[in-house]
Amino acid sequence: MPSKFTYNEEALENLRIEDASILDRLIDDESFREGNLKKHRGKVDKRITLQEAVSKYVSDGDIISDTGFSYVRTPMQVYFEICRQQKKDLQFIGSPNTNQSYVAWAGCSKYSHNSYIGAEMRGTDRNYSRMVKDGRVKVLSEWSHGSMGLGFKAAQYGAPHIACKQLLGSEMLKYNPFVKEARDPWSNDPVVLVSALHPDVVFIHCQQADRFGNAKISGPAVNDIALAYACRKVIITCEEVVPELVMRFDTKDTCIPFMIVDAVVELPFGCLPGCCPGYYYWSREWWEWLIRNALKSDDTVKDFLDYWIFTTKDQFDVIEKLNKNLGGPKYLHTLQRLEKAEEYLIEDIGVDFSYEPVIPKTE
Amino acid sequence: MSTPANPFEQLAYNIALQIQDGQIVYVGTGLPMVGAMLAKKTHAPNITLVYESGGQDPWEGPMPWSVGGAATFRRAPMSMEMAHSFAMAANGFVDIAFQGAAQIDMYGNLNTHFIGGGFWDFRSRLTGSGGGNDLSSLSENVILVGLQDPSKFPAKLEFLTSPGHLTGGNSRREAGLLGNGPVACVTQIGVMDFEPESKWMRIKGLNPGMTVEIAQACTGFELKVPEQIENIPVPSDDVLQVLREVVDPHGIFITFPPRVR
Repeated sequence: MPSKFTYNEEALENLRIEDASILDRLIDDESFREGNLKKHRGKVDKRITLQEAVSKYVSDGDIISDTGFSYVRTPMQVYFEICRQQKKDLQFIGSPNTNQSYVAWAGCSKYSHNSYIGAEMRGTDRNYSRMVKDGRVKVLSEWSHGSMGLGFKAAQYGAPHIACKQLLGSEMLKYNPFVKEARDPWSNDPVVLVSALHPDVVFIHCQQADRFGNAKISGPAVNDIALAYACRKVIITCEEVVPELVMRFDTKDTCIPFMIVDAVVELPFGCLPGCCPGYYYWSREWWEWLIRNALKSDDTVKDFLDYWIFTTKDQFDVIEKLNKNLGGPKYLHTLQRLEKAEEYLIEDIGVDFSYEPVIPKTE
Repeated sequence: MSTPANPFEQLAYNIALQIQDGQIVYVGTGLPMVGAMLAKKTHAPNITLVYESGGQDPWEGPMPWSVGGAATFRRAPMSMEMAHSFAMAANGFVDIAFQGAAQIDMYGNLNTHFIGGGFWDFRSRLTGSGGGNDLSSLSENVILVGLQDPSKFPAKLEFLTSPGHLTGGNSRREAGLLGNGPVACVTQIGVMDFEPESKWMRIKGLNPGMTVEIAQACTGFELKVPEQIENIPVPSDDVLQVLREVVDPHGIFITFPPRVR
């Protein structure tokens, strides 16, 4: 199929992309605008369940954006549900894009637009490395955090592209079809042009939203305000649905307006086993279990996903298993307490942040 | 008397010494964080820490476990977005950024993409750039941090993720990049800097017990050797006490040999 746009040829060749039409939707401003014009405009109650939201809004082949920051305000329970519903051929984009790894292993995602996959000092993602190497995942573009963030910002601000100083001199320029080196028309200095980016679908976890989709994010927004405006289908997941009047009388942290939101999912504990600012800490034990043990081989990944995703139906089943493995019903409370103490919302003197470095085992 | 500094503690101390009071410092997790906290608790109390996810100027508290976690926005007056946090660097509000990498070459260019082959036949794919390329491209000064050995300090990178001085000389500026690029490289051996003209890595100072020969044996390219090499001091008992009791009381980053965490 002929592609609609003129991509960086060297990048297409280096990335061995034969059919570049697979790239088109990500930067198609025109169809993005047309889609938005057709969106339902009414201020209506948009609440649905997570199962409905994933079923209705995630289509096979969609470009889906990871949100939050790897495991901070990232709706991991959405990705678990995508795995359960066995969506196919998703392109993952994200800055960071950490959660693609297990979704890809579950057979749901074949393509990556990457700036980062991993968990910082906890180590590199051996599962993702294996899957890229044996072709189960194909990288379609290489990014830095900042350059991808600017692609989302360009989309938010209605600009077809944005010029920046990142990526100059980097080999990523040769592995990204969506960026082009150019000259600034005024100074003649080298710049990199980053196309506006429009992923198909995004789930953004907010602490609070009203039933129409007005939403509050506390803590770093990372790329999520930009993504809410940049993406074609926008689903807000939230810890709590609050009355509309909360939004009107307390505008602090409100950053996503209802008009651009397609659906609202009340999803308490939706970021577990990651963290939600103001609510709960991330399960460090779970993440280390994943990174250090479970990613070792396809077999260990399979066991891990069977246990945490395919034999659970929702976040409460996950909580039950976290409690069971990590110290009983008190564990969830510990996560809540650690988050609030680290944010200094509660007194932190006497709060113990240490934890057993022993990685738990499934029975 | 405290027990002498172990290699990680010396490294954290050397990192801290790179920071001057009043600077805005962009930090990642791990030893640069320890060094920055140590600086703040000793000679540089008025530094401001900023993080890529958007956290800035957190109230002092526990060591961040993640550059997106609560300690990075703990009671912060405001939190920003990722695009803003890198814009701060581009606009001249980041004095120092710390960077680690799987590979560092003689011009301070970095690879965080893969090792052991090419783009398709690597032995191990790594994390990718993250904010590394942005900080390298935009910050005023970049400080590299690593454990020095010939495979991590090769003459040729397997992939150039983040630009240092590119091919040396004026090539960084000609490429259109901002800032001074890498100004120092802090390792268990000591501190390297870059020759002003060629921008080739050279030894600036050596840690106690280290020699030019050891430094060279730990490097996959020829290190420049100046006439004068500083002898880097060991941290004082007072500094060690702050490091061990205040900055990293659980020894998460400074225990040697490293423990599983």
